[in-house]
Amino acid sequence: MGKGKKLVALVIALAMVATMAVGCSGSDDADTTDGGSDAVVIKLGIGAPLTQGAVALGQGIENGAMLAIDDFNAKDLGVEVKPFVVDDQGDPKTGVNVANQLTSDPDVIGVVGHLNSGVSIPAAAVYNEGGIVQVSPASTNPQLTLQGFDNVFRTCTIDPVQGAFAADAAFNTLGLPTAFVVDDSTPYGEGLVDEFVKAFEAAGGTVAGREKTSDKDTDFTALATKINAAAPAAVYYGGVYNAGALFAKQLREGGSDAAFFSGDGVYAQDFIDLAGAANAEGMYCTSVGLPLDQQPQGADFQAKFDAAYPGEGIQAYDTYSYDAALVILSAVEVAIDEVGAENLTSAEGKAAIIAAVAATDIEGVTGAISFDENGDTNNKAITLYVVKDGAWAPN
Amino acid sequence: MPLTRVLVGARGSTKAFPLISLEQLEETGETQVSIATIGQQLVNGVTLGGMYALIALGYTLVYGILLMINFAHSEMFMGGAFVGLFAFGWLDNYEFFTGSGFGIALMFLMTFVISGVVIGLLGVLIERVAYRPLRHAPRLAPLISAIGMSIFLQQAVLLWITPRQVPFPNYLPAGSYEIAGISINNIQIMIIGSSIILLIILDTFVSKTRIGKAMRAVSQDREAATLMGVDINRVIAVAFFIGPALGALAGIFSGMYYGSIKFDMGFIPGVKAFTAAVIGGIGNLRGAMVGGFLLGIIEALAAGFLSSGYKDVVAFAILILVLVFKPSGLLGESVVEKV
Repeated sequence: MGKGKKLVALVIALAMVATMAVGCSGSDDADTTDGGSDAVVIKLGIGAPLTQGAVALGQGIENGAMLAIDDFNAKDLGVEVKPFVVDDQGDPKTGVNVANQLTSDPDVIGVVGHLNSGVSIPAAAVYNEGGIVQVSPASTNPQLTLQGFDNVFRTCTIDPVQGAFAADAAFNTLGLPTAFVVDDSTPYGEGLVDEFVKAFEAAGGTVAGREKTSDKDTDFTALATKINAAAPAAVYYGGVYNAGALFAKQLREGGSDAAFFSGDGVYAQDFIDLAGAANAEGMYCTSVGLPLDQQPQGADFQAKFDAAYPGEGIQAYDTYSYDAALVILSAVEVAIDEVGAENLTSAEGKAAIIAAVAATDIEGVTGAISFDENGDTNNKAITLYVVKDGAWAPN
Repeated sequence: MPLTRVLVGARGSTKAFPLISLEQLEETGETQVSIATIGQQLVNGVTLGGMYALIALGYTLVYGILLMINFAHSEMFMGGAFVGLFAFGWLDNYEFFTGSGFGIALMFLMTFVISGVVIGLLGVLIERVAYRPLRHAPRLAPLISAIGMSIFLQQAVLLWITPRQVPFPNYLPAGSYEIAGISINNIQIMIIGSSIILLIILDTFVSKTRIGKAMRAVSQDREAATLMGVDINRVIAVAFFIGPALGALAGIFSGMYYGSIKFDMGFIPGVKAFTAAVIGGIGNLRGAMVGGFLLGIIEALAAGFLSSGYKDVVAFAILILVLVFKPSGLLGESVVEKV
């Protein structure tokens, strides 16, 4: 290899790195406008899947929390909050890595995140060790708040509530006597299906079969054929929209007319777009909380959102993420009074924030927010949605 | 009503063994295995296998000639799907293509050609910049270069196009046919039909044409072929054009079949297709085809009659069995050590 070739190779390698760097800088262009020179700067971590996994829902979580940060900074309390956005890729290992990244920055006083229960659960241990508060807007597996940590909270309700609600809706409201259940082998999907099965059988329904798939599978044709042969009245899927949409599409195209039923992980327009509107029509899902227009401050939020993110749609957890950030930032306000703005990032300040979050009693976008002894929200509203004319609508 | 099986013993004594009741039978999801269900699973498996086979050819072509595993090949599959998406989107603007059946057929043809050529040229370019400078380097070097290229291409699509899973259009008129309880739809017919036709064309190309002969010569003995006047760079470029082009078509098929594409969509099919190439005997074209179809069918049957969770376990267990009993793969030739 001559000198010229080595030079070419070097140039190509550098170009590859440079293009990546340019691309990357696009994703963390968080606002860094100075909020007055004398303001104390603290950081709020936001952890969600942004490049892999349920990206549509993850970006929604980022959007929601950002709005709450903007609102807080507009109050001009002598404290400026900067977002520290990390991408957990919907992957437990990556989740722990980014959690360590957040806790090793002393300015980070709390975290809004994560989306997937499988990510939130191991990350919670890291935040506990780091002594900062974690409020998940979307992780519904009960295990998250049962680990004995006093710093872990969530603004969404939990799977036993959702699974029981779905089972009741399927068996009693919709009159579906048999269900074939499928999960995506993640703590979220498995947990949700477990709860559904428990409640569905207790109500008198029959589970026609249970199958495990992977959240990275793309081919479900064989499973669809198998389900067709079992001819259940309903198919219940525990998982998120990426794989869920593929499964739903292949189930319909495989000729099944069983009612398709799933949880909050598929409550996204992407589910309908990916499955195809014709296939998705009439499919059901339950999602945490009330529909946006029935949430107490839903209309305000919609206006705020449209101003900040024109052309983007509100996703399932945006308001829950806003509320999760609101809970932490309200606690920051309490802590400012208790320990002073300069001490917010000390261990004492972080502990004061955790204590203030535990005692939360505020009105959020989604309704009144307060936490039980585990850190779960007392707002246990769940809504049944159905795909109507190519969009999710309350049933 | 519990079913019981009565066994009559040698001395006339009877013993009743309770089997599971019909209700339990329904509960556990065990259904009678009908011929139609098996047939349906075969259709599913052959469709999947057709895509695996098309990708596997790319691995095997390159291996046969360079003895190198092109790990960036799975990104050719992904890239082909994205180029296909853009080509469909562009042609969709012209009423000529969407108006008539002929127009739609032409649109498919053009999309296949555009995607195949773009990705084929990308394959040639990758060989030129990432592998050729390392041709005489230790064998690990091009391997690492290939992995790097794979990551680069994935990240490029993630950062510059989209990290999200995007819907893929399907212009094929919806329709399915039922034969003896087995239904097959237009996309499946198209995937199975096109993959078999492409495989036959490639097989003929390699065995009948001059450049095909040169490819076989290079795969047998690179130095001897060079001495006989074969332009080795040209042969390698051709292999790096055909493999990625076929991978690109598989990407379009996958997009149409599953209805969506994503920057990391190539990883799992890539691993599976590589497995298929190894099962069939890496370096052997017909082996890659057989391996692809076999793997697709095994997966469908395992998912259909055991459990979805076991399909990969079964597929890889079979890979291990094949390698234990026939290390060179089903159709692979045992290479005589040249002295």
